[in-house]
Amino acid sequence: MVAVSAATGVLIVAAAYSAGRLGHANSPWADRTYWLGQTLILAPTAFRLLSRRFLARSETVTLITVLTIAEYLAMVCYSPSAFTYADELEHWRSTVNILQSGRLFTVNYLLPIGPHYPGLEEATAALVSATGLSVFTCGLIVAGIAHLLLVYVLYWLFREVSGSYRIAGVAVLCYASNSLFASFDSMFVYQTLALLFFGLTLVAARRLPSPGAAGQRVGWFTLAVLAIAATVVTHHVTSYVLVATLVVVTVAALVTGNWRTAGWTTVLSMLSATAAVGWLAFAAPQTWTYLQPYADGALRGLRQAFTGGNAGAPPVSGPLGNRVLGAAAVLAISALLPVGWWRVWRRYRLKSWVVAMAAGSACWYAVVIVRFAVADGSELAGRAETFVFMPTALILALGLRQLVVTTVRWRARAVSAAALVVVLLLLFDGLANGWPPYWERLPGQYLVAGFERSVEPEEIAAATWSLAVLGPGNRFATDLGSYPVLGSYGDQDPLRDVAYLYTSRTVARGALSQAEAQSLRYILVDQRLSQSLPAAGQYFPVDPNAGKYTHPLPTADLDKFNDAFGVDRIYDSGNIVIYELLEP
Amino acid sequence: MVRSQADLGATAAVAVLACAAAAMGAPVAVTAVLGIVLFVAPGYLLGQLLFGSHLAGLERMVVAAGLAFCVPVLGGLILYAAGVPLHRTAWLALLAGATLAGDLGVFVRRFLGRNSGAPAQEAGSLIKWPEAWRLPTRHAVAYGAAVVIAVGAVALAGVGAVRQHYAGFTQLWLVPKDPDAQTANLGVANYEGRTIQYKLVVWHNKRVAATWEFNLANGRAWQQATQFSDRYTITAKLYRLPDASSAYRYVVIQGDRTPSS
Repeated sequence: MVAVSAATGVLIVAAAYSAGRLGHANSPWADRTYWLGQTLILAPTAFRLLSRRFLARSETVTLITVLTIAEYLAMVCYSPSAFTYADELEHWRSTVNILQSGRLFTVNYLLPIGPHYPGLEEATAALVSATGLSVFTCGLIVAGIAHLLLVYVLYWLFREVSGSYRIAGVAVLCYASNSLFASFDSMFVYQTLALLFFGLTLVAARRLPSPGAAGQRVGWFTLAVLAIAATVVTHHVTSYVLVATLVVVTVAALVTGNWRTAGWTTVLSMLSATAAVGWLAFAAPQTWTYLQPYADGALRGLRQAFTGGNAGAPPVSGPLGNRVLGAAAVLAISALLPVGWWRVWRRYRLKSWVVAMAAGSACWYAVVIVRFAVADGSELAGRAETFVFMPTALILALGLRQLVVTTVRWRARAVSAAALVVVLLLLFDGLANGWPPYWERLPGQYLVAGFERSVEPEEIAAATWSLAVLGPGNRFATDLGSYPVLGSYGDQDPLRDVAYLYTSRTVARGALSQAEAQSLRYILVDQRLSQSLPAAGQYFPVDPNAGKYTHPLPTADLDKFNDAFGVDRIYDSGNIVIYELLEP
Repeated sequence: MVRSQADLGATAAVAVLACAAAAMGAPVAVTAVLGIVLFVAPGYLLGQLLFGSHLAGLERMVVAAGLAFCVPVLGGLILYAAGVPLHRTAWLALLAGATLAGDLGVFVRRFLGRNSGAPAQEAGSLIKWPEAWRLPTRHAVAYGAAVVIAVGAVALAGVGAVRQHYAGFTQLWLVPKDPDAQTANLGVANYEGRTIQYKLVVWHNKRVAATWEFNLANGRAWQQATQFSDRYTITAKLYRLPDASSAYRYVVIQGDRTPSS
């Protein structure tokens, strides 16, 4: 019945999405319909996993399977006919490039680092070649299967280290509450596949030293080596987190006196570190310059937050309900983690993997600090949650277990109910404050700077026209909405720092000089920028006025190119006009 | 002791059939099924090679699927390093080659295991899976209903996406073929959702140089090469008839393509 309920939930979510597409995206009843569908997916699964009744091992696996597939299908229903998420469009472009050219490491203007980690695109290109299906269909298959396998790997790992399939099931449920579980972690992006390899490496590392694996040690070691190699060539950050995780387990094994575990994890951490550094040095040296701004920004923000040197994160925005839910989730996890640590101390303090996970779960507090105290920290915190929630989920499950087992009999039912409420709160917080944001929870009509809601036929037509007529790789100025479409469907090179071109009344000589310095060739102007405020708070990928707009851009600011000397108006589709800057 | 090697035979047959289907241009429905099995087969065989049947159902499936993803990820890199272009043939050869090599490896392993007296259930374990996964009837009915509802949900979302209303639009463009070209590419494409009657007027400076009137079906494009010179500015105005008074779209390219700066 849980499966039927979850499938019905997906159907209701799909109905809410269809209502959004047919003009009811801002309707309260459509929004409530969406949440009703999500309730049907989440509540029965959580209830069954947390209930005090007997639960068979196979039933636990079924429940987490149903939950994962249902949430994945709900995501597919958001964009059922083509990729619209910006990150997916980036990898779609790389896959098409491999299929068309037969070469790896081709240029991807939208995500220059992406082709240097080609694992996802290779797997998808192979599936496209073997099946004859489209890149979109094969991308959904690869991402969906990888995501489901990750959940299985986590369940396997949690069960091994906790010794309980029920705790493992609850831990997976808690993991599903991370804000990117139902979106970014299951999208067609390189991290989705890398996480599977990451998990397989950990499982192999866990199995290698166990006495029962004596006859299969070669098998586990081979699996670990293959999974490490695949992680390294698939996603940069995941490979670095893998090295860090193996080091933490090694330290935990040394502290707990598990020398055999420490030996094997030392070997694997050295192997993975060597592979990651080797790939960084010889195949993807650009990784450092790609990641450095994020690292610098986070460190600078943290420093400012602790020294009080500057304003930290902007005030939390969004509907009151979302903010309350977010705060309640932070409080609940903050309170539960110490309970879990207490259980670790009581029952698992000699188990190196559990101790390692307890240590790793402490990073969750760092994520909270980054989210609430660092400027632009919410995206960084969200991305970190994918990894930090793995140990955190297990410790939360142990915390919940501790509360249930230490409760006297007559209060057990109340505690179980409270545990269910807490887990549901976490799950709904993950959806409400995850992706897509509240203002595009339902798909619908075009929004200015609206990410997925800015991907419409006119944008796609302009992008494909640019590729067909202008050729690939031209440097374009464009707004936030058309940016991913132009870089993917158009295979163009859209620049991020172009707001200066759109926010002045005349085409100043300085602006033309700056455009020339950027080797800018074309300017895409969407007339709708003068009709409404940006949904994302900013009109351009890099926007000095982000969050400060009180009225749309003046029409004159956008029309100024029509009369500018040295600028040709070469394309007009009504809302979208493309200008060419003539070479001096 | 009789052992089944049916899984090896089946995977080898899939490898051959998938390549044959691709070579003969079989329908996508056929290549899709064969292709998915071919994609998974190397992982299954690698799992058998590394662990035999020592893993339980879920773990065996996870390891096999994980290894299946490793094959194109690492194999593709090796092929590319060897200078092989990664076109369809290369991917099919990689998957089929890995499958056949895996078949051989597993066969040898089972043969050696038989001689060393390994447990009988090591071979052909794929064939035994359905028994372990047999469901009570009411559960099977419930899961079947869930699958039907879920497929219906995706179909509903697909219908919603198809029926979503987008404002129609018409593209007009005028692009010199290259900086030294004597002609420019003038084009119109109709995405208004129905056939539209257009009038297109081209000016050289302020003199009408050409006029066209044409009907364009939805999704169709009209293109024309037009003369281009540095002696005049070209303006193209597109009218959507019957309104011939105000331009529906317009584009302009300058004759002197050197800015004054």
